[in-house]
Amino acid sequence: MGASTSRRNFLGLVGLGAASLAGTGLVTGCSKKPGSTGSATNAEQAAGVVPTFKDSNLVTPDIKGVSPMADGYVKYPTNLIDAITDKPITSGKPVTATTPWWGPAPPTANKFVEAVGADLGAPINFSIQDGNTYGDKLNTMLGARDVPDLTCIPGWEINKLARFSDGVHVLFEDLTPYLAGDKASAYPLLAGLDTAAWRDSVWGGKLMGVPFPTDSPYPTAFFVRQDVIDQRGVAAPTTLDEVYAFGKKMTNADKGEWAYGDIFQEVLQICGNPGSQNGWFKGADGKVSHRYETPEYKRAVEFMVRVYQDKLIHPELASSKGGDVKTLFKGGKIFAFADGLGGWKEVQREMTKSSPGFNMQAVKVFGADAGKPPTRWSSGATIMWTFIKKGLGKDRVEELLRVLNYTAAPFGTKEYELQNYGVEGTHFTRDASGAPATNDLFSKEFANQFIFLGGRPPVVVSSPDLPNFAKDMLAWGNDATQYLEKNPWEGIKVEVPTEQAAIQQPTDDKITDILRGRRPISDFDKVVAEWKSSGGDKARDFYAKVLADNGR
Amino acid sequence: MSTSHTVQEAGTTKVPAPAARSARRPRTMSFGARLRRDWPLILMCLPAMLLLAVFHYLPALGNIIAFQDYNPFAGDSPVQAFLSSEWIGFGNFQYLFETTAFWDSVRNTLAITAFQLVFYFPIPIALAMLLNGILSPRLRSFVQSVVYLPHFFSWVLVVSLFQMMLGGSGLIAQTAREAGFTAPDFMTNPDTFYFLITSQAIWKDAGWGMIVFLAALAAIDPSLYEAAAADGAGRWRRLWHITLPGLRPVIVLLLILRLGDALNVGFEQFYLQREAVGRDAAEVLDTYVYYQGISVQQWGVGAAAGLFKALIGLLLILGANKVAHKLGEQGIYSKK
Repeated sequence: MGASTSRRNFLGLVGLGAASLAGTGLVTGCSKKPGSTGSATNAEQAAGVVPTFKDSNLVTPDIKGVSPMADGYVKYPTNLIDAITDKPITSGKPVTATTPWWGPAPPTANKFVEAVGADLGAPINFSIQDGNTYGDKLNTMLGARDVPDLTCIPGWEINKLARFSDGVHVLFEDLTPYLAGDKASAYPLLAGLDTAAWRDSVWGGKLMGVPFPTDSPYPTAFFVRQDVIDQRGVAAPTTLDEVYAFGKKMTNADKGEWAYGDIFQEVLQICGNPGSQNGWFKGADGKVSHRYETPEYKRAVEFMVRVYQDKLIHPELASSKGGDVKTLFKGGKIFAFADGLGGWKEVQREMTKSSPGFNMQAVKVFGADAGKPPTRWSSGATIMWTFIKKGLGKDRVEELLRVLNYTAAPFGTKEYELQNYGVEGTHFTRDASGAPATNDLFSKEFANQFIFLGGRPPVVVSSPDLPNFAKDMLAWGNDATQYLEKNPWEGIKVEVPTEQAAIQQPTDDKITDILRGRRPISDFDKVVAEWKSSGGDKARDFYAKVLADNGR
Repeated sequence: MSTSHTVQEAGTTKVPAPAARSARRPRTMSFGARLRRDWPLILMCLPAMLLLAVFHYLPALGNIIAFQDYNPFAGDSPVQAFLSSEWIGFGNFQYLFETTAFWDSVRNTLAITAFQLVFYFPIPIALAMLLNGILSPRLRSFVQSVVYLPHFFSWVLVVSLFQMMLGGSGLIAQTAREAGFTAPDFMTNPDTFYFLITSQAIWKDAGWGMIVFLAALAAIDPSLYEAAAADGAGRWRRLWHITLPGLRPVIVLLLILRLGDALNVGFEQFYLQREAVGRDAAEVLDTYVYYQGISVQQWGVGAAAGLFKALIGLLLILGANKVAHKLGEQGIYSKK
């Protein structure tokens, strides 16, 4: 491969007369630096274009979620409502869609997809891509301007997409004329999506995508193996000192057991660091600062240095990116780690089958010292967006919006059941209470296809195999809400100038060096000073200006 | 390239060889006649040329973004985006050359190349000679399969395999712990990182690299060995006077090509282990470009780094080839 690359580039060299590339003096003489200068949308612009909210929820929740936590359901509703009686697709034309999936690709001949397609009025042809490399795939697709009718893009990928704020208007349909204000009443289930999530879907003053509202706004939780620690009589930590003590007690290298996976993100929150806007925050005095500059950050770093030094983190995770934290957790090689809440149900479900008694729990949120509150970062109101291809014509756009209206069907509808559990008898059977229990064909064919295709009012639902799930998750999430960080930039789409985005990795590298003990902790202040001078101070001005421009 | 070479040679077979070397060849056939004679050869090469054109020469035009602040959404189509993105001259190169971190990564890359030239490059040659010494064809093909199989494993697999052996929770560390010792953790030690990656490279690719040397060994005339043995040459003398000279053109060829690739040491292997040993030890040109170009959406910077790599590679190849010619070797092309 290497040789062919050289050959390819060689032609480019000759063609462009790069012989003039001789000296740096010349290079600086006639050029301009690359990179964007950053941009930010105006939050006020969003207010006028979002759909008027009309509650679409049907079932009274068993456990009420404290906003922005979703509601919890322990019992499965017995009489389901047929929310959409007309076929959404009237032209009969198949719909193409791209969605991510973190697992083996489902078969193309797929009874599940066929069944939902039949209910929609035309087949949906999915191109399902590996979620771990989804950003790379999207960059190519968007760069080639070759997008399907419906493109699903997770929020965390948006920042990795080149010039997305330009691309979104080039590639995707402006939905403002279809959904703004009361126009959304033509799509009653879309009108049932959270207004905060819709506000998040505005680029350059235009409503560009259909949001997938989040069921819990927390990027991470501190998970433990409750069954093991109960058995060994070790209590889950409630202060930073206890995190260390817990680590010491649960680490037993001779037996191949270590206490932790990477817990830095959790330790930062336990120590009270901000993190919702890349670590930026507005202090009580109105000054914009970064967490690097706070004693809380330094405390978290100092703590992690001890954790690494005393080898409380599994060596496999400390020595390569390839280490799989969940496999270690499932296998009882580690007993606590930081992870997103999305993985909770999957891990618990898989382990419930193979090792009964396996109990994964999120530790009740706590601060570094007794009486000192932690911070909980907020990942925003939206997990992902679905975009409609530009230039398909009014009729087709309306048809596709009807498809997204269908996928927005809330819990308690027949449509919800079909999209989440498949066909009764083929993909699931009902237990005594009437709740669906899925089978192996479902596991094979299901890849969250329709779940990712569009958003719906979020719910946390227990299932026959996980009867306590909604209760556990709501108990944790409702309690954590009180510590949720207020993000002053919320609802503003901030694109940081390239120069400032580029200082992140070098700074992270230096901090990693400190954490792993390759650099002394005394270097920390120097690292922060370097960060400030190489762009950190400019970034502060940039973020402060964005706030000022928005009158916040 | 090789095709036109063959065609020419085929066309000049009637001319006495020594004369052809010194004087310009008399054209014995018209273009039409040669076309009539050679068309099957040309036809056979066509698919390969087409592939080359479509997947190598055409994309190479995209290198113009090295001189642009590339915006894939400028203009009305992807092709127009290349033309309507802003031209910034050597801005991307300036961005690269002005940062010390870039030069750090170049230095690391060259150091790794130099290290591997000494500690990796001879391994496949030695392996090929050892394997060639095995007489049983069955055993030989078995060993050959075993040693070249790892080439097809991904780096993630190779790194986790090394992790399982040498890492802090690996076989060696765990055995040592049971015996009451503490084994050093090779996976997170920046000082021994070059040894680690070179061992990984050897395990993964030495068997694969050996194949071409095996082919060269097979081409050595066995009667040379017989004659030498009859004259009383021992094992080492035969190695020194027959085997190594027989391999020399291939070794020189691969050495030159490797030099041309001096700034390519791979990406995944370093990306995976970068955090474990730190940027100072593991940042190579490709990871630098990934973090400071691609992941912050500066595609132009990535292209500029690619051109820089190609230019250095070209100079190294031409230089090394010249030296090879001076020393009487054939190099990557023969000098007429």
